Amino acid sequence: MSVLGRGSLLLALAALVGCAAVGGLGPRGAEPFRLSEVAEEGDARQRASTRLVLDGLDADAALQPAAALPLYERALQLDPTNPWVYLALARHQAEGEAPHSALPMLDQAQALLQGRGEIAPGVAAHLLGLRGVVLRAEGEQDESMALLRRARELSPTVWSDARLEAQELR
Amino acid sequence: MPRAGRRSSGRRRPRRSEPTPRRRLHLAALALVAASFALGLGAGRWVAALDRLVVERFEGRLFRVPSRVYSAPTILYPGLDVRRVELRETLDRLGYRREPTASDLAPGGYVWGRSRVRIHLRPFEHPTRPEPARDIEIRLVGSRIEAIRSAGGESELGAVLLEPQVVGAYYGPDREQRELVRLEDVPQTLVDAILAVEDQRFAEHHGIDWRRIGGAFWVNLRSGSIRQGGSTLTQQLVKNFFLTPERTLRRKAQEAVMAVLLEARYEKRAILESYLNEIYLGQRGSTAIHGVGEAARFYFGKPVGSLSAADSALLAAIISSPGASSPFRNPERARERRDLVLALMHRQGRIDDATLEEARAGELVLASRTREPREARYFLDALRRQIPEVYDADALTSEGLRIHSTLDVRLQQAATRALREGLAELEKRMPSLRSDEPTRALQGCLLALRPQTGEVLALVGGREYSVSQFDRCTQARRPAGSVFKPFVYVAALEPRGKDAPFVTLASRLDDAPLTVATPVGDWAPANYDHEFHGEVSVREAIERSLNVATARLAQQVGIERVVRMARRLGIESPLPGVPSLAIGTADLAPIELARAYATLANGGVRPEIRTFEDVVDPAQGTLARRAIAFERVLDPGVAYLAVSLLEGVVERGTARGLRAAGLAGPVAAKTGTSDEERDAWFVGFTPELVAVVWVGFDEPRSLGLPASHAALPIWLRFVKEATGGRARGAFVPPPTVVRADVDPESGALALTGCPRRVPEFFLQGTEPARSCPEGGFFARDRQRDLPGHERRGIIDRLFDRWLRGNAL
Repeated sequence: MSVLGRGSLLLALAALVGCAAVGGLGPRGAEPFRLSEVAEEGDARQRASTRLVLDGLDADAALQPAAALPLYERALQLDPTNPWVYLALARHQAEGEAPHSALPMLDQAQALLQGRGEIAPGVAAHLLGLRGVVLRAEGEQDESMALLRRARELSPTVWSDARLEAQELR
Repeated sequence: MPRAGRRSSGRRRPRRSEPTPRRRLHLAALALVAASFALGLGAGRWVAALDRLVVERFEGRLFRVPSRVYSAPTILYPGLDVRRVELRETLDRLGYRREPTASDLAPGGYVWGRSRVRIHLRPFEHPTRPEPARDIEIRLVGSRIEAIRSAGGESELGAVLLEPQVVGAYYGPDREQRELVRLEDVPQTLVDAILAVEDQRFAEHHGIDWRRIGGAFWVNLRSGSIRQGGSTLTQQLVKNFFLTPERTLRRKAQEAVMAVLLEARYEKRAILESYLNEIYLGQRGSTAIHGVGEAARFYFGKPVGSLSAADSALLAAIISSPGASSPFRNPERARERRDLVLALMHRQGRIDDATLEEARAGELVLASRTREPREARYFLDALRRQIPEVYDADALTSEGLRIHSTLDVRLQQAATRALREGLAELEKRMPSLRSDEPTRALQGCLLALRPQTGEVLALVGGREYSVSQFDRCTQARRPAGSVFKPFVYVAALEPRGKDAPFVTLASRLDDAPLTVATPVGDWAPANYDHEFHGEVSVREAIERSLNVATARLAQQVGIERVVRMARRLGIESPLPGVPSLAIGTADLAPIELARAYATLANGGVRPEIRTFEDVVDPAQGTLARRAIAFERVLDPGVAYLAVSLLEGVVERGTARGLRAAGLAGPVAAKTGTSDEERDAWFVGFTPELVAVVWVGFDEPRSLGLPASHAALPIWLRFVKEATGGRARGAFVPPPTVVRADVDPESGALALTGCPRRVPEFFLQGTEPARSCPEGGFFARDRQRDLPGHERRGIIDRLFDRWLRGNAL
């Protein structure tokens, strides 16, 4: 990872952890975050976009990644500022053949979420955990372990197995 | 001795006897045999040559099928204003038929009511995202979608996709468009209708129908003119495939022989299938419609398999004279001919009484007449340059690929209009800009991107594609002028390692005479107004687009650092590391600027430019795919500061005309005017859309106008139409950016006692440490109370603990 990339990562993580702290993180972790909780958030366009994301997660949960991807892409076309699309895409790619491509998705999700204010601890857990999954796939074990441990602390029920299933995000 | 020989040679030859009649007969027979042999040999060689021709063509690539380019699909969802997506116009463009009632609504039909719209969506084929045919009902409140549900169903649908529109195709020199069909996909009624009219005994003859020829000869003899042809389907196919349309005996002979050869070598089904794909059936603009597949879409808006008996009869009726019998141009005549075909089919026993009556009773139900899309031709060229090289011109014009592009048809139309009308208006206002020669006319280009994904939504590379195919958005490089300046400021705002950034938005810059020594002599920049403005804030310097202050800042930051920043943001053109680079002397392409500004709009994440999603072959296999790709290249806080600066340009600076013209919502932008006003630029963005406009002449000469008068109005026209006059979303600072009040004259904190104050954004920890000259009371204590400081403390503590805990 480049110096710039590492620097950005550290900055991003600092912000994430900070947001999680401000968001009221308790020592025992937060409630797991699911996208269905935010399905009715935002304007009509965002809601429609999020519904497509939920459909995509259903397809991913049914082990039909080829069917899920176009749904995420359409969700993105509908509302490119919807952070949940990037989060779901990041999960999709982290589990797929090119986990590295999930990192920019996570950056994008994080940037958009930060633009909306505080990042809830449950969401921060997913951002950190998915980043850990990608780094694990890339052989960066130390950083991956640290991130996954932090994700587990933030959201123990979801991240205890160091994975985020589509159904868990849905 | 030789004498005898000489004698012998010198003796008179005996006189030949006259041939007897019998001998003459033998000679004549021999000559005839020889002539016949020669003729046979020639004929044999001729037939063999024709046979080779038939085989080569029929076993090679039968048809060149142009590859089509599709737009991004339109997505309908509850809450959407259907006027925003021009739903009715979109359905018409897609060739949907407007029906009076919803009973038996077939795919490709719609009914538009005051509060309900029923659409029977056509299926759309795609290897990974096929869409089934779906009959939906949309409930409207005013023009807003309240709900979407399946017709007759109760469950509501979250979002529905309209099939993508064809925005263009890559034609060969013949400009033929066709959709290949297999015989088994063609309804029997269509085959019957065509056979009834064109070749009743197709199943029986061997390429030539002597009875039909005799009949036609008799009819023509009686009428004294050529009124009927005797060609079979096979002969017609041969004529279209191999021969010219000339009417000579030699060509007719060739046609007959080749028809027989074709029939001898290939099955009737193969010949019929080829005919159905080859036959000319009309014209869409300059494009010829060939084959029943394409014609079914063109006339009825349906796949060929969905044609009714009436539709089939109409298509068969068109074959003999597609122009005169076109149902679009002459519906009455088309209907009469359709009924004649139906009667013929009935007489030949191909349809029963009930089918005849039902088909005759029906009105002509046609698709909306679609014109050939013309707006996207620059985009198609840009796409062609982006798709993998393996798809060369030959592949694109012949293999029938389907390319799913990122183009937004509505935005493309808006961009085309905005540029055309904007340039015309400029010429009206400034007659000196007019030129009688189209090739020397005032030019411009407009490109729109989605900042998050880099998708090209609209691209108009010039004023008139038919006059100049040179794409000024992607192929031209022109001096960037002040649209380059933001890169200087971003380079200055970015912290260098552990050091503080060179400037903050509240820093003061000196806009005073500057001379920089260069290897080619001194360089002394001047401002647009030829004045110096003394000490100004960073914000003011960019809002007023001050050259001198910017050049001085670039000198302080270092030109190499500016170059590196421009590269990171997405600029790829050569950037000479000279002092004047800071004020935009480098030649850049509009598309590069769009990408670099998109990176700022996107919080420092640089997108890859994307003009297509995938390339699909006719067998529905994905051949190439261009996935969304981006990379973080800039800290989101720094990116936000740049956005905030450019928002200031719109609120108070050289782009304030946007607000005066009523554009609302979050907008950030920068004007750019090159030396002698030869190039006018405007690059701006909302949270969802980046657009760049360039105006100038291909052979550079002065416009006599700044960018705010030349390029801004075109950008405004486009973005107003794209957003409906109000940009959606917001530019929100990330948590690493804090806001503090500063004294606008000193750039210091405006604490208690300071008479002037304006809010300003800072990266955490870079807020000014001192207060304004008049204030300063409690400054140290108050500084700790700033929200950013408090939050930074928590973050730092947590992050430090996390770092220690993880031994990183």
